[in-house]
Amino acid sequence: MRFMRHAFADAADRMGRRDFIALAGSATAWTTLARAQAMPVIGYLGSESPERYASRLDAFRGGLADAGYAEGRTVAIEYRWADGQYSRLPALAKELADLPLTVIVAPGGAEVALAAKSATAKIPIVFELGGDPVALGLVDSLSRPGGNLTGVSSLSVEVSRKRLEFMREVRPGANLFAVAINPASPTSESQSRNLEAAAHSLGVELVVLRASAERDFSGMFTAVREGGAGGLVFSSDPYFAYRSNQLAALAVRDRVPAIMQSRDFPLAGGLMSYGGDFSQSHRQAGRHTGRVLKGQKPSDLPVQRVTKVELFINLKAAGALGLSFPASLLTSADRVIE
Amino acid sequence: MTPGPGPLEQHDVRPARPRTSLFGKYFRTIFAAVVAPLLIAGGSEAWLGYHDERARVNELLNAEARLAAVKIKDFVDGIRDQLGWTVQLPWSEDSGDRRRLDALGLLRQVPAVESLSLVDADGRERLFVSRIGLNRIGGGADHPAKPAVSGARSSGVWFGPVSFHDGSEPFMTIAVAGNRSSVGVAVAEINLKFIWDVISGIKVGRTGEALVLDRPGRLVAHPDIDLVLRADEAAQRPFQTLRAAILARPGEAETGRDIAGNTVLAAMAQIPGVDWSVIVKQPLAEAFGPLYTALWRTAALLMAGAALAAVLAWWLAERMIGPIRLLEDGVTRIGAGQFDHRIELATGDEFERLATRFNEMAVELSVSQERSQRISRLKRFLAPQVAELVDRTGDDRVLDGRRVEVVVVFCDLRGFTAFSARADTGTTIRVLREYYDALERVVNAHEATLINFSGDGAMVLVNAPVSRPDPALRAVTMAGDMQRGVQKLLAGWRALDRRLGFGIGLAMGPATVGRIGSEGRLDYTAVGNVVNLASRLCASAEDNQILVDLVAAQAIRSKVPLVELDARDLKGFDQPVPVFAACK
Repeated sequence: MRFMRHAFADAADRMGRRDFIALAGSATAWTTLARAQAMPVIGYLGSESPERYASRLDAFRGGLADAGYAEGRTVAIEYRWADGQYSRLPALAKELADLPLTVIVAPGGAEVALAAKSATAKIPIVFELGGDPVALGLVDSLSRPGGNLTGVSSLSVEVSRKRLEFMREVRPGANLFAVAINPASPTSESQSRNLEAAAHSLGVELVVLRASAERDFSGMFTAVREGGAGGLVFSSDPYFAYRSNQLAALAVRDRVPAIMQSRDFPLAGGLMSYGGDFSQSHRQAGRHTGRVLKGQKPSDLPVQRVTKVELFINLKAAGALGLSFPASLLTSADRVIE
Repeated sequence: MTPGPGPLEQHDVRPARPRTSLFGKYFRTIFAAVVAPLLIAGGSEAWLGYHDERARVNELLNAEARLAAVKIKDFVDGIRDQLGWTVQLPWSEDSGDRRRLDALGLLRQVPAVESLSLVDADGRERLFVSRIGLNRIGGGADHPAKPAVSGARSSGVWFGPVSFHDGSEPFMTIAVAGNRSSVGVAVAEINLKFIWDVISGIKVGRTGEALVLDRPGRLVAHPDIDLVLRADEAAQRPFQTLRAAILARPGEAETGRDIAGNTVLAAMAQIPGVDWSVIVKQPLAEAFGPLYTALWRTAALLMAGAALAAVLAWWLAERMIGPIRLLEDGVTRIGAGQFDHRIELATGDEFERLATRFNEMAVELSVSQERSQRISRLKRFLAPQVAELVDRTGDDRVLDGRRVEVVVVFCDLRGFTAFSARADTGTTIRVLREYYDALERVVNAHEATLINFSGDGAMVLVNAPVSRPDPALRAVTMAGDMQRGVQKLLAGWRALDRRLGFGIGLAMGPATVGRIGSEGRLDYTAVGNVVNLASRLCASAEDNQILVDLVAAQAIRSKVPLVELDARDLKGFDQPVPVFAACK
């Protein structure tokens, strides 16, 4: 053992730390693949860390199980995590594309799907996102994807405007609302336009706040509080969604009424959320993956839209903010947190 | 098998193999008798079973189709009923808020409703709520879906055509009018993808499934949601073909192909209102699975039955043919002269009786063979006519000892002993054979009995064992013929020896005749004084002379001229014996 440890230490010294880790990493990858051999291998590209993806992964594995696959027994999964650094996604996708994979799963937003698409035009890719895959250029049409991509789309991006509407119902007296946009998101442009149009219809003013990193979050809430906006409406963006807890804490700290796409936000103390049910969309992504594993071509697999859009409201948060929900929201809410 | 002696040998040829065997005939007959009813019964059962099963499957699929149609209808009716709640009270200025809450509640309750607009009595849209788009209150514009509003007003409920959003998701507009025109109309966009929950729950048999086509034949719902979302009308052609086939013969389950090309059995039910068709289909192999199982079972039973019948037929034919073969073999043996052979059969039926008959026949044959052998032995010393007589009567009791009046004829060659001493053996034998032949011919011609040849002499009996009329005359005539026959030969032989001659003596009287002899040797002969007398007369006869005693001469009387010679002293006779000579 001592000798071994020395040998490793020596090797690490000679090669430099980074190289050694890469080698060790590919060695584990190689053993995983070797063990799998007969098993098909899924490449899973995640934009965050496994911890942040935990609930999504559970849903995905549930979907795989629906299709008859169990990780480690009938299918192997090779993970690549960007740990929140979305700029690393294309490189990680490339890394996956070089492995002998049956399918690449690119869940959690347009960035992941686009990174996977840029990495390979041969390996089937199953995406999961909240936007319009046709507008994003991922597929030719929903019914006939055409290329090597297919997947699941929730309605999160499309319903951004509904968030503004709900926020206005909570703050009927306010005329100014803040909107959080992630300029790095491929859908930021369309969502901006969408929200501007909705604001016009509703007769309110918008202040657009841009945030593409965690360090921008605090200032964003401070700006809302100090700018006198009636509330903060988050555009649909996975970067925001995966940081719901952090954002909820800031909203509580700065006493800012806010609405997000992810249910995690009101569950963590935020005011409310309206967006697609991620557990459904990730589960569906798992089922889609299962079908690709069984040999169906992505070009023949229609993109599935998860039509369920859920409204969560948090009465406690409202009470803390000195607000009350109108009857219309109480009626429409899928879940009321008390 | 030891071949029998003599002429019986020709029977020891087994008959040629028959062209057809009785075994084969029996086997075929019995087999056919068992298998034919089996086949008829099995075949008709399979045929009837097929029809029953077809009817049952038909009924089952139709029931499934109706049930599926009811479930889909329930789905649509459920939405319709929910919409009905939003059109109950007339529009007034202050009812907007309550209506909005109703509409939002409906959206939450019925996930399939994508959006809902409420239209007032004037056809203006008063409220619009949506899951995706912004809500509108009191827009006041004319509702864009005019046919929906007017359709609902005229018939209460209006179902729009199915449309595919973004070329993929099926949607339908449902409009429901209240019971008065003042309460307005609710128009809802329904996401038909939600029928999947219903349709995927319908299972026909084990793997059968249901699907829904709208009026133009587009797929609205299918357990494989991708087929619906693909909205590929060309690919859905098989379903339309299937529907057309079922419509051509309503109420019947039809065989056709599904999208995957599998042969399926399908039935259909219509959903009134939306005018959709619910088709239930089941793989043909599965639908007819029990039937195929039954058919296979029947076939297997038929095979087993046929095999059993074959074994049975073989056994029965063997049982029938066994005794026949035994009989055949027995008859062959008996025919070959093996009369002690017995056919052992204890079948207790006609065969046994037949075997008994054959055995009896064998006994009789054995007896009759013994007799015929005896008779053939008689032929040695009986004239053929006599032998034949004995043969015909089948009775050799004529040879039994008795005392009868006979004529005994003796003859011999004179000077033959000296001749044989001089001549070589070949000549002696040849001369004797010619001599015997000549005598035998004459004896046979006169139906007399040649008792024996001894050297150059012979003894002949007339009137025994078979009695002949007028034996004395017959004997004299025969003696004359003998003299003539032998004298002709002597004429030839005298070149060899001039002293050769031939004399005959005959006498008539009672004598004891019959088979006389020891165990090893048996002869037919006569014993009595008359034999002595004839023998003495022969000895005293000269060449070419026939001597006749008094009894014979008296019996002949004058039918043949006789010359009385002087009485002669003969050895063994006290008195001189009167002697007659037959004239030549």
